[in-house]
Amino acid sequence: MSLEQLPWAVKFKPTNTAEIADNKDALFELTKWLKSWQKGIPKKRAAFLQGPPGIGKTMSVQVLAEEMGFDLLEVNASDYRTRSRMEELIGRASTQNITIFGKRRLILFDEMEGISGREDHGGISAIVDIIKKTRNPIVLIASSIGEENDEKFRVLRDLSILIDFKPVPTLDVYKKLDEITKKIGIETTPEIIEALAIHSGGDLRSAINDLEAISRGKKKLNTSDIDNLTIRDRKEYTPILINNLFASKTIQESRKIINQAFLNYDDLFDWIYENIPLFLDDKEDLYHGLIALAKADIYENRARKSNYRLQKYMYLMMTGGVALSRTKSEGNGVKKQIFTISSKQGFPQSAFSLNETANGLMIRPLKYLGDDWRKLNDAFRDIGGNYVRGTGSWLIPYIRSPQLKWRYIRTYHNRLKLKSIASKIALKCHVSTKEAINEIIPLLKIIFKNNKESAATTSAWLELEESEKEWLRK
Amino acid sequence: MWAEKYRPKTLDEIVNQVEIVSRLKNFVKEKNLPHLLLVGPAGVGKTTSILCLSRDLYGVGYQNYILELNASDERGIDVIREKVKNFARTAAIASEVPFKILILDEADSLTTAAQHALRRTMEIYTKTCRFCLIGNYSENIIDPIQSRCSVFRYSPLPEMEMKNYLQKISNKEGVKILLEGLDALYEASSGDLRKAINLLQSAAASQREVDDISIYSVLGKVSPQRVKEMINLGIKGQFLEAREILRELLIDEGLAADDIIRMIYSELMRLNMPEKWKIRISDAVGEVDYRLTQGSRSEIQLSTLIAKLALEAEDL
Repeated sequence: MSLEQLPWAVKFKPTNTAEIADNKDALFELTKWLKSWQKGIPKKRAAFLQGPPGIGKTMSVQVLAEEMGFDLLEVNASDYRTRSRMEELIGRASTQNITIFGKRRLILFDEMEGISGREDHGGISAIVDIIKKTRNPIVLIASSIGEENDEKFRVLRDLSILIDFKPVPTLDVYKKLDEITKKIGIETTPEIIEALAIHSGGDLRSAINDLEAISRGKKKLNTSDIDNLTIRDRKEYTPILINNLFASKTIQESRKIINQAFLNYDDLFDWIYENIPLFLDDKEDLYHGLIALAKADIYENRARKSNYRLQKYMYLMMTGGVALSRTKSEGNGVKKQIFTISSKQGFPQSAFSLNETANGLMIRPLKYLGDDWRKLNDAFRDIGGNYVRGTGSWLIPYIRSPQLKWRYIRTYHNRLKLKSIASKIALKCHVSTKEAINEIIPLLKIIFKNNKESAATTSAWLELEESEKEWLRK
Repeated sequence: MWAEKYRPKTLDEIVNQVEIVSRLKNFVKEKNLPHLLLVGPAGVGKTTSILCLSRDLYGVGYQNYILELNASDERGIDVIREKVKNFARTAAIASEVPFKILILDEADSLTTAAQHALRRTMEIYTKTCRFCLIGNYSENIIDPIQSRCSVFRYSPLPEMEMKNYLQKISNKEGVKILLEGLDALYEASSGDLRKAINLLQSAAASQREVDDISIYSVLGKVSPQRVKEMINLGIKGQFLEAREILRELLIDEGLAADDIIRMIYSELMRLNMPEKWKIRISDAVGEVDYRLTQGSRSEIQLSTLIAKLALEAEDL
């Protein structure tokens, strides 16, 4: 296969550790352990890598093996099966110190979840024996860490150092997809990439596959291209989880969503934050829920700065702390907010029809909107709504995806301009850029809107570029 | 910008802060000066007077002999030290004054550790460089620095002085300003002349006659007003709408979280609410403010305040 024909997920794979953007902690642990083999056989002869699919577990091992000069011997699920087959395949390789090329071996058992306890008779006990005897590092990889696997792999885990791989943060998925579209040269919009990134739930590989699938034979992507993305069968679809969280009555019940989620805790946190006011519509509940989440944030901070042990309090506060704040709340504030937004844009309630559907509220304008369409569309998008093509209506989901990060991305260029104008003002007016942003720019905007002449002299004096003047006028 | 256009150029042009100005003039006469520490509220002429002094001291091309840094814009004391090093290394050759001047604005925002590092730097470069530190509060400057500097305390501008100044600018710009307009400017700027001039210029952008209404209409469009709206929505229990404003301030207007909380605090203090209520709310504001300094996510922390407002409103 020529490079051109490679699937994108392979073509854009990192080729060295510096290119791997996520799971730095896991990578560090793995490197440390592999290095320890240079000083002799360490206490734990195997490393057990666990985490959801598509986040770079196998890739990390491949890249590290290459960089550290190991000869990688990969064994896949299809090779496991029985003890005799396994011994034949690995037995000698694991006890030989070096290969004929003078390299040390690294043995990788991938797709461990593919071993079935019953059918692959003796498969696991064979691996156990190999680990006990090996003179070469052994890496085990399993994609799911559900309870059944917990039991199945217990012996293996006892013999191994455990390394957790986390789902890729949505923002990083976004960045990677953005980078690929630019390299390939496909025209697209932040909204489309955003949708793909959210859809992936932290599975970077699936996101790249989705992107490749919808881009086939196209130079430009439209919003309609993402309409038919199918939801992969994964642990739990996030909106359902959020629903479960707010419905749970016990700590145990609420705590479960951490393991069920296909998101890393950072993204999960954002989902919870976004939806708290929709579920907790009683003042007191809302306050206590937010306080619990704010506490979770603080524990996260403390865990990062002093000891990861503290993370468990973060998990507790962001799940149980939030869920158990619910005492009197019953509603879901979506409807009320739709009316606030539409009346802010100058439309009375009577201008729309409203239908409750399984996924959210359908809102359809009763007359032609003209230029106001865009304004309304932006406003609805900010509360997580989407325009549904062909139906002429918006769907505002009951459970929203987090809006904050996307707004930061969408307004990135806006803030860049703001900063460049602020630094010009800071220089000329002998103030800090912060002061320029807080005190001077808002007033400058008023001048630019109302007085062309004054705006012109000021821009000349500040040496503003055309685009900066434009920014101040709008 | 009028605030720059009408900024005094020489010490002679400065009408207020008479005593300070006369002492600064002596430094010019002797062509020598100690390290300086200028403290006082915003917009009373601290930066202006040091710029004027520099111009009087070095003449045309004075910019070559001064370096202006703003502590809040520089990333850490190391960056400042590096810049000072490069600036102070070369003596002021083409001038009869043997030193350059480094102006460090918002010096009181530096941490104690950074200030100690700065003190060392001041000692090393004393021969070729004079330091002029500017800040709002001298309490926030460590003693060893204070003892190495001549300290100048700037007083707030008297009402009449400020109004005269604004009147003068209006006349020169051909703007008619009514008495109510002047009152409103003084009130809104709380003695900060730069702020008052900027406000005047924005109000004058749309009409040639400025009264209190035009001043307040300008004020209505800037951030503190949005913060006030957010507080009101919070009190009414409209959390989602209030959070929306918070997001606009953080994202669209690019305000820093600590500036937003500063505005929240000062707006809350101005509200017509029972004193006890203010104490309870301030306690919550203080806690959130502390958390922000610890590097927490600003939006979640700030939004707890919005929810708190609704809760406390119930007891009224």
